[in-house]
Amino acid sequence: MPDRGVAGLAELTGATFQHIMAARAETERKLVELRDRISTLAVDEEATVVLMGSWGRREITSESDDDFMVVFEGAARADAHPSVEEVSEALGGRPPGREEIFGQPVLLADLREKIGRDADTNANLTRRMLLMLESVAVCGEEVHARARSGLIAGYLDANVKEYRPPRFLLNDLVRYWRTIAVDFESKMRERESEGWGLRNAKLRLSRKALFAGGLLPVLSCYRHPVDGMQAYLEERMSIPPLDRIADTFVEHGALDPAVRMLTAYDEFLAILDDGDKRAELSQLKLAQARESRLFRRIAELGKEFEAGLLTLLFDDPQLRRWVRDYLVF
Amino acid sequence: MSATAYERTDGSSQPPADHHPIGISTGVFPNLRDDWPALVDEAAAVSTFAVELSALSSEELPGLLAYLRTDPAVAFRYVSVHAPAKNRGSNEVENVRQLDEIPLWVRSIVTHPDVFSDLDPYRALGTRLVLENMDSRKDDGRTVDEMDRFFDALPAAGLCLDVAHAHSIDPSMGLAHALLDRFRSRLRHVHLSSLSDGHHVTLSDEDEAGFAEVLDRCGDVPWILEATPPERWTRQLKASRLVASGASALLG
Repeated sequence: MPDRGVAGLAELTGATFQHIMAARAETERKLVELRDRISTLAVDEEATVVLMGSWGRREITSESDDDFMVVFEGAARADAHPSVEEVSEALGGRPPGREEIFGQPVLLADLREKIGRDADTNANLTRRMLLMLESVAVCGEEVHARARSGLIAGYLDANVKEYRPPRFLLNDLVRYWRTIAVDFESKMRERESEGWGLRNAKLRLSRKALFAGGLLPVLSCYRHPVDGMQAYLEERMSIPPLDRIADTFVEHGALDPAVRMLTAYDEFLAILDDGDKRAELSQLKLAQARESRLFRRIAELGKEFEAGLLTLLFDDPQLRRWVRDYLVF
Repeated sequence: MSATAYERTDGSSQPPADHHPIGISTGVFPNLRDDWPALVDEAAAVSTFAVELSALSSEELPGLLAYLRTDPAVAFRYVSVHAPAKNRGSNEVENVRQLDEIPLWVRSIVTHPDVFSDLDPYRALGTRLVLENMDSRKDDGRTVDEMDRFFDALPAAGLCLDVAHAHSIDPSMGLAHALLDRFRSRLRHVHLSSLSDGHHVTLSDEDEAGFAEVLDRCGDVPWILEATPPERWTRQLKASRLVASGASALLG
């Protein structure tokens, strides 16, 4: 059986995505290391440790963060294992990000049952979406699979119609993407543009890949009866977002734009993996962006990545019907 | 499924006039030559999404550079410059130095590869350099093999697919498809027109139909018209003008 995803697209077209494939190989290699380290910890049967972000997208580079969550099924309890501190130490001791998305144990029930309104905090929404869209387990793989399955089931238990995109899930996904975009501006105001360049680059490419990697399968539910959506979405969310994106382009015959958008993403990963360029982006502020050749390049790559997605969403005669009917209102 | 062609899932093809984004070359307005604000106004009357600022002859470049240095407020999301292909100086280092003065907000610098006497200096333009495939009257830069040689020497360069040029060599459009097959990841934008006696003219009905399959593979990149748009496109192009132009409206 021929490859699917990015590798399948490469095979179909002769394109090479060397940085994407190298990052995948590196992710798999390091996952083995991390699983080995985590294996020394006591882990409850109801627990899973999942890595998010570039780990979940299988595209770690030399400076990637080790953002993780410790997720538990069932009710909160004081003696739950592993603790966040134990996992942090086993992974190398780097502290979790400053938004505290990852700094405390997570109850699956909170992610599944608190959707919408005040109880669904920004952190809860982010954890739920990351778990569903870009996560990989380093222990408790069965719990992780059940957690993702449960989240999808929770969304589908909401008056889903045959051969239609599930609106509840779609709306929450779009809400999450818009939250990312709005929070980018908010964080930059609070931090006086500290880290603006790197965060902006990620917004243009990896965050967009995260969103598109969820959006395309959810829209593609128009091809499935209600009783087939759960299995379809579980399978899609178990593979990296770029593979979901590549598969959708191939299914719709849009090979050329797919190659161009993934070539742009490939160069983006090369830039992130270059310590000097990453440092330059990290230090870049909005006021300096206009004269930065590196940032100009990032902006171009972001436009090329987006242009591929837009031509798929708006020019494909099947998808554009669903975009029109479901993505605005 | 074909491994090379963009075959839409229901077999339909989008009318070229509906393409987004579309734009025009300022070379289409010879009466306004060297009056860059007026040229930009005319181009914006066709579409405010994309434009190619054409300095096809070397004498036009200093005026264009002076205009760009004023940091004009332009409406376009995609701006390219067509570098001189006529009356060029023989010093390629100096030619590239001038092109490198083009501000960074200009995305692409389109060049005719057949006029290069030395390729090395052009590496300095990096990913902004775009090579256009040539027509049947030229001696180089026409075919996949000829373009391959240029891209080998200039690995960061992009491709401007001139559909009419490819058609002039292979009316079956096999060459256009072959260029896309080989260089699809490099495609930056498209030049669109018909050709008559080697001159770019308004896209004919026949060419519009004949080019459709190739254009379907280029839906994510800007298309630059190298001649006045067909009158049959008037309705669609009005939708491409998001900003009212101060110039006389080309399309009424």
